This record gives sequence, C-alpha cells and structure tokens, in this order.
Amino acid sequence: MNALLEIRDLSVRFDVGDAELTAVRELSLDVAEGECLGVVGESGAGKSQTFLAALGLLAENARAEGSVLYRGREILNAPRRELNTLRGRRIAMVFQDPLSGLTSTLRIGRQLEESARRHLGMNARQARGKALEMLETVRLPDPEHCLDLYPFELSGGMRQRVMIALGMICRPDLLIADEPTTALDVTIQAQILGLLAELRRDANTSVVLITHDLAVAAGLCDRILIMYNGRPVESGTTREVFTAPKHPYTKGLLASLPSLATDPAIDLTAIPGQPPDALVTPRGCAFAERCEHVMDRCISERPLLGGTRGRHAAACHLLSP
Amino acid sequence: MTAPLLSVRSLCVDYEQRRAGVFGSRASTLRAVHDISFELSEGETLGIVGETGCGKTSLGKAILQLVPPAAGRVLWRGTDLARTDARTLTRLRSELQIVFQDPLSALNPRMPVGEIVAEPLRVHAADMSAQERRAAVADMFERVGLRPEMTSRYPNEFSSGQCQRISIARAMITGPKLLVCDEPVSALDVSIQAQICNLLRRLQRETGIAILFISHDLSVLRYMSHRVMVLYLGRLMEIAPRDELFENPRHPYSRALIEAIPEADPDRGPHDMADALPGEIPSALAPPSGCVFRTRCPIATPECARTRPPGESVSASHRVACHHWRDAHAQPR
Repeated sequence: MNALLEIRDLSVRFDVGDAELTAVRELSLDVAEGECLGVVGESGAGKSQTFLAALGLLAENARAEGSVLYRGREILNAPRRELNTLRGRRIAMVFQDPLSGLTSTLRIGRQLEESARRHLGMNARQARGKALEMLETVRLPDPEHCLDLYPFELSGGMRQRVMIALGMICRPDLLIADEPTTALDVTIQAQILGLLAELRRDANTSVVLITHDLAVAAGLCDRILIMYNGRPVESGTTREVFTAPKHPYTKGLLASLPSLATDPAIDLTAIPGQPPDALVTPRGCAFAERCEHVMDRCISERPLLGGTRGRHAAACHLLSP
Repeated sequence: MTAPLLSVRSLCVDYEQRRAGVFGSRASTLRAVHDISFELSEGETLGIVGETGCGKTSLGKAILQLVPPAAGRVLWRGTDLARTDARTLTRLRSELQIVFQDPLSALNPRMPVGEIVAEPLRVHAADMSAQERRAAVADMFERVGLRPEMTSRYPNEFSSGQCQRISIARAMITGPKLLVCDEPVSALDVSIQAQICNLLRRLQRETGIAILFISHDLSVLRYMSHRVMVLYLGRLMEIAPRDELFENPRHPYSRALIEAIPEADPDRGPHDMADALPGEIPSALAPPSGCVFRTRCPIATPECARTRPPGESVSASHRVACHHWRDAHAQPR
C-alpha cells in the first residue's frame, strides 16, 4: 500500500506568553490509501494539532517543524495558495462542532453549491444538483427542503451530516474527522459512524478518525495510533491494539473503560495521577509518573516507538530490556 | 429494604418559553418532565439515562427544588419538599447535595479551594469553630484523594479531575443522605473517569448515601447504578434493576440505547451500528401524540399514535411504558 500522507518528525509548539508549550513532539505516521487510521488520546495529547499543522490551519502563535508529504509532495508550511488547492478538494476536515465548520449566515444549499462551483467548476444548475445529491448521500431527511435552511435550523446530528456532505462533495482522497460524534447523542452517534463507514466503503476515501473514545475507534478503524503527551506510544492494527495492547498506558485505558461486560461488583482499574503538563518536556517517558512498571531507565531515557513500518509497536522500555 | 428516603410522585417540570414575533412575544410552555414517579432507598444508586432533552437534568434539579416542580410531590423522608417552608428547606439542603458536569465552572475561581469546601459548613453547621471547620475540611480532602495542604490553592491550579474531587468534597462535607450527580464524569478524560467513578462508589460504601446518577453514557451508568431509569422526551420509558434492564430490556428505546453503545471490540464493527435507531429526537415543544417514542420506534403501530402507553408492571421492581412490551421480544423486521 502506498502512503497517501506521510508525517515525519512533526513538532508543533505554541508561544504562550513567556513560555513555550509543545503540543506535538517529533511525531511520525503514515496514512495509506483507502485505510482508516484512528488517532486516539486524551485532551492535550496533540492529536488535533498534528492534523491542523499538516493542513496549515494552526493558530497564529504556533509553529510547526518537520515534514508532511501528501502523495510525496511537501505540504508543511506550504504557501496558502498551494494548500487551497488541496484543502476541501483532496483533503477534507470534519470537526467536533459542526457549527464552527459551517457559515451560519448562508443557507446549507448555498454552501454546498459554492464548494461544487469552486472545486469542481460546475455551473449553478449542476452545483444545485450536486448539493442535492450530497444531502441524499448522507441521508438527510427531506434533502430538498434542507437546501434552503440555515445551519441553526438543523439539529446537531443533521448539521454533522451536512458537514460530512460538504467534506465529501469533491470525493477527497482523505477525510480527517476530528471527534465527529463527541457532541452527539448515542443513537445519533451510531448513525454518523455507520454513515462514515459506508462512505469509506463506497468512495474508497482514506479516513483519519481523531477521538478520545477507544470504543468509537474500535468500530471504524483499521489501524490505531495511541498518543500521549504529543507522542505516539503505541501503533498497530485495531485488533492488535485492542486484543494484545503493549504499552502500559493503552492497557490502562482499556482497563479503566467500563463496558457491558464489566462486572459492576468490582472496582474499575483506574490510571492513577493526572495527564501530563504540555509546558514540561520530560527527559524520559512522559507516562512514567503514572506507570505501575516504572524503572530507573524510564526517568532518564525516552523510549522510542520501535519496530518497522506497519508493525505493532509501542514506545516502552519494558519491551526492549 | 426499609422505607424509601426519597419518593417522587407524578413530578412535572415546565419551562415558559417566550418567542419574539412580529406582533409581540408569545409564551408557550415546554413540559420538560412529565408525570415521573419513583422511589430511592438508602445506599442505593438510581441511574437516569436518556438523550438530549429527555429531562434528566430537570428531574434532578426539581427534586432538589433548584427549579420549581409544576405538579407532583417530592417526598423526602415524608416531607414534601415542594410544599415545605423556606426555613425547613434550607435546613434539609444539608442532606441533599449535587455535583455538576463541569467541575471548573462549578467552583468560585476567586476562592481558595479549602474555603469552597468549608462554605456549606458555615451555613449548615454555624456553631462550628474555625478550627473544627479546618479539621473537617482537611479530613474531607483526604477522603476524596486530595492532599490536605492543597486547601490554600485556587481552582485554576487543579486539573479537571481534581476539581471534580473538590466538588465532591464540598457536596459531601455536610454529611448528605442524597447526592445528585449530573453527568459527573462526562467532561473528564477517559483515564480520570474511572478514578471519579471509583471514588463515588467508595464514598457510598462508607456513608450509605443514596445517589441519583444522571448520565448519557450507558456503560458508565451500568457500572454505577443498582437500578436504571430510562427517559425519553420527559417521560419514563422503563425502570428496572440494573441487570434486568441490560439483560432483558422490555422497551424498544432501552434496547436501541443498549445497542448503540460503542464497544471497545474490533469485532463489532460499524456495520452493526448502521442498524441504529433512525431519525431525530422530536422537539419537546411539539411532542408526538400517543407514545412520544413512536416516531423512531421500529415496532410502532397505529395504536401507538392514538393512545399513550400507561406504565405497566413487568414485575414488582420493573415498570415499562410500551403498548407492545409483552411482544417486545418480537424484534423489528
């Protein structure tokens, strides 16, 4: 499989007054053609910033270093004009809050038509037809009527469908979905995840699913990357990561998650302590202070995500004694 | 079990909505909680689950009289909280406490956290000396897993998980008998959720406090609750002991909620999820006729549009409001 997106040694730093906050630390990852990669981590793990950096969408006080190749072409810190030919057309992004991705003062139809006209060079009539077709694809009820509505007139689940329609209108190679179901009710979440799976199958679009929810990632993704404190700590196929997790953090996350199979009589195994501070760069493993297996070496030396590309790997000294 | 601590009878909560129109504003009434009855015993956790607009938060607030009930009774150890005088209610508040979803906005940012936790004591135990109060706060800090020397710090110096511990300490310091927890772990990181869940369970074991645990997350709810109540558009769909509800749900909505739970299991793909409940939650301003769930129900019949299903008893502890619960094993299709 060819890599559609190759991220190499990406670092993202924010200037926050007199300090520097590092959100992403020398991260490397690949997204292959047609695959769905789940990027899982807690708040502050750097999962969103990684992809905002790749698309040149970082905040003003942020800097990105490293390399991001899209089909072999360097796009990190590329000029805006070059990125505009990719964003929305080849690579689309769907956010947690669909309101922030939609223009609140324009009717739904107008926003979809604009994208069709700009990126696909359609005329007004063709664009209208395309807009309607997209709303049907994402199975919005009464699509014709919805074209004339404003975003605020739709429910959260319907807005997310419109966002996905907008993202998919140019049949992008890559859809980056950042917590697309986090703000939605469970039954609506199930609808949207089903829709993403279907679009992926039908359009062969690669999907990056950014989520804090391991269970959501398990249902949709082929491969999983677990992030902690700006670095990947484990990477493997979904099955490998869920059935044979290697990193103590991944194991801790899975153990702390109540499921329908959990015995309610037994206390959950919580991970002690707090998520790390992005202002501090630890010398050794960032998870060391919360890890039950911590050794001297974990404090002094940073473990690397070993293994060759595509293999199940974890950044932990326990695995390379 | 002994006589219930809390007995809620036919509780209703209304909100007045004003809509600006061309010819002045028009008022309409939104009934957020409709005719809900249940009981809660000492040491018991009742989980309340439902989606946006199901009335779970309004129900919790109405029980604590934080919003006035429109009708019905809230009997707290025999006293109707909705009809009691203000002084009695203030006195009883030391027994009734609440923990909110967003721990940071629930804490006064300009007050040291020790003062925040001590504040209920100033109201409910006014005869305590400052020294006794300090000792009680230090003890409470320890019980919720915080170091007593942290009392002089301010909320912004704590992580969200620690802030939730502070909220719990403030709620528990007066020795309440009922704790309403409104989505207490929803705003927390996954690795912290389990810490807070375990803390609440331990405090319940230690004190025998009754808990109303409000959550949209059925996995967490199942872990926390002895009994579970399912709400939809302000109405009670089903109430049953935990295992019975999860293993043998009688209401099609309970079944749909359980099926929609994503499981951390790579073998259960989104293909199963595509069979999820169709449609959107209707507006509470214009609820469907008959059964409010019928517009999304896979087994709805014309009967469901005509008459509202009454609450029927499946067993002494299991109630369900569905015309078809007897043949509800008849799965859709």
